[in-house]
Amino acid sequence: MLKNLFKSTESYLLIVLLAFIVVVGFINPKFFTIENLFDLLRSSSGMAILAMGFFIVLLSGGIDVSFTAIAISAQYIAVNSLIASGVDNLAVAFLIAVGVGIAAGAINAVFIGLFNVPTLITTLGTMSLFHGALLEFMGTKAVNTGGLPECFKTFGHFDILNLTRADGTEYGLSVFFLILVIVVVVTWFILKYTQIGRGVYAIGGNKEAAKRAGFNIPKIQFFIYMYVGLLAGIMGIMHVSLIRYSNPNYIVGSELGVIAAVVIGGTRITGGRGTILGTLVGVGLIVVLEKNLVLIGLSSYWHQFFIGLIIIIGVSITYLQNKIRSKKNLIFVRDT
Amino acid sequence: MKLTIKNMQNFVLFVILLAVVAVISISLPDKFLTAINFQSMTSQFPEFGLMALAMMMAMITGGIDLSVVSVANLSGVMAALVLTSQLGADGGISATMLIVLAIIVALVTSVVAGAINGLIITLAGVPAILATLGTQGLFLGIAIVITEGHSISGFPPEYLFVGMGQILGLPMPLVIFLITIALLLVIMKKTRQGFNMYVVGANPIVSRFSGVNNTRALIQTYMLTGLMAGIASIIIISRVNSMRPGYGSAYLLQAVLVTVMGGTDPRGGFGNVFGVVMAVVILQVIQSGLNIMSFSPFFKNFTWGFMLLLIMVINFYLNRYQQGRRIAETKKRVAAEASGNSP
Repeated sequence: MLKNLFKSTESYLLIVLLAFIVVVGFINPKFFTIENLFDLLRSSSGMAILAMGFFIVLLSGGIDVSFTAIAISAQYIAVNSLIASGVDNLAVAFLIAVGVGIAAGAINAVFIGLFNVPTLITTLGTMSLFHGALLEFMGTKAVNTGGLPECFKTFGHFDILNLTRADGTEYGLSVFFLILVIVVVVTWFILKYTQIGRGVYAIGGNKEAAKRAGFNIPKIQFFIYMYVGLLAGIMGIMHVSLIRYSNPNYIVGSELGVIAAVVIGGTRITGGRGTILGTLVGVGLIVVLEKNLVLIGLSSYWHQFFIGLIIIIGVSITYLQNKIRSKKNLIFVRDT
Repeated sequence: MKLTIKNMQNFVLFVILLAVVAVISISLPDKFLTAINFQSMTSQFPEFGLMALAMMMAMITGGIDLSVVSVANLSGVMAALVLTSQLGADGGISATMLIVLAIIVALVTSVVAGAINGLIITLAGVPAILATLGTQGLFLGIAIVITEGHSISGFPPEYLFVGMGQILGLPMPLVIFLITIALLLVIMKKTRQGFNMYVVGANPIVSRFSGVNNTRALIQTYMLTGLMAGIASIIIISRVNSMRPGYGSAYLLQAVLVTVMGGTDPRGGFGNVFGVVMAVVILQVIQSGLNIMSFSPFFKNFTWGFMLLLIMVINFYLNRYQQGRRIAETKKRVAAEASGNSP
């Protein structure tokens, strides 16, 4: 048990994360407060949910770069529908956003599952298709706080746990964290205990073998990309509720951060390997790094650089381990 | 000339090109068929044409290069730094020397960046998609850190010749593009590197056991893709007359679109320069048409995404048709042999 603990990528990653947190906490003691923890959870739950989606895609041997375009489309359409219809109901907003997300995911799946188009090329195309269509046909006007339906603002401020500061004011743990926990548990359950979840691992390991073993590949791919769409829809609503502002150009462009979190979590695009824990630790590392760049004395210009660097270091370590293992066992894999 | 499937593909592309030109010329005669429009078109497409050629080479080897635009940004910034440096004013270097130096710096930067891609892909065994996704962020990140997000401008006026000058009535970007195409044709058709690229892309395990040095072939491929981006950056900074990191982010999709439209197989092994060049021109003609009809950039984005998916679906049916025909032919041959051998 203990031996295994030191073998896995997640434990190394966890050590890096803890070391990083200690360093940051040393520089800024305020970092070690529960208030700061709650704050981080509130602002990063959305990203973690997107990471869950990308994790499943990567596990199945695919790449998705369209999920941010889906998230913003779902959000902007939901917000504008609510304003246009005068309905001020969060459930309706979620229904619309999730519906848009699943529909967009199904479009991805049609090309990937039925027409056998490589996943990157499909999602590169749909990213432009979705975002281009949104800006062309829905408009480019941002909805500011004043125009936003009340339900989003209430949702953004809704806490499941309230604590009192020394001066008597209150702060709390956002409901976003609860949603993240539900998403993580559901994802874990699907991957571990359902036929379709095992199929995700199987097609990531070897698509041809999975096919011959009797897995329905297009069905699994439809599930994967529609699930990513669903998560993107949920994240879209959380995002607008958090920042209380809906701009159709937001979220798009932040996919690299999510991808970085998942790949440093140890998920491989070949081999069907990866764990939810690794992904969550990866998200933690990215979030703590992003929020504290300025603290270490680096301006926000370094953000892009570090995300890129983290992806490269993360994938290099993951695939180098794989390569060494293959070499030892005289396995010749397609190394391109 | 033997009419193979690949020849046929290029022929179909040529017909599409003529059709697109004809349709747009007829619908917008007084705006499309003008010398000014020809000038602007031929100075626009070399930029993403070069990136598409880079994408083509990566795809032929079975990979992809998502970092082309970022490499172009980084080498553009490096060249811009040289052009605006004090070397010219105080260092006693003439303007011509400064320009030559800037071009060398841009090309060296891009080749080094490409070599980094190649090293990550081969030595660590990282799939090209993930490796170049990472360097896409890294190289752009370096460019942003260097410039702190601002644009660099104030180049010597002589440098504008690279992007806006003319030789024999042809815009300089087009001349540079044509020279690069000639160079690539030689590399792809006449050198061992070109041959190895196709073999590695078709099947890396077979190529490895056939005595091809996969590592070397791939590193050289990504150095070449980097070089293409570097050449593009030289044109970009002159044409825009400044350099701001983040320029041309839409080129990535266009490069992928043009590459698959030109008959390159994203799974590796197939692709040719002529097909991609024709696809580049087709895209530019459509782009000009959309520009003249003043469609929004969002609609253009939508169109590119739609076209990319459409082409992939058409390819799917083409492949299936060809496969079906091959199976039918084999069956016929087997049947003929069986009846011929039977007593």
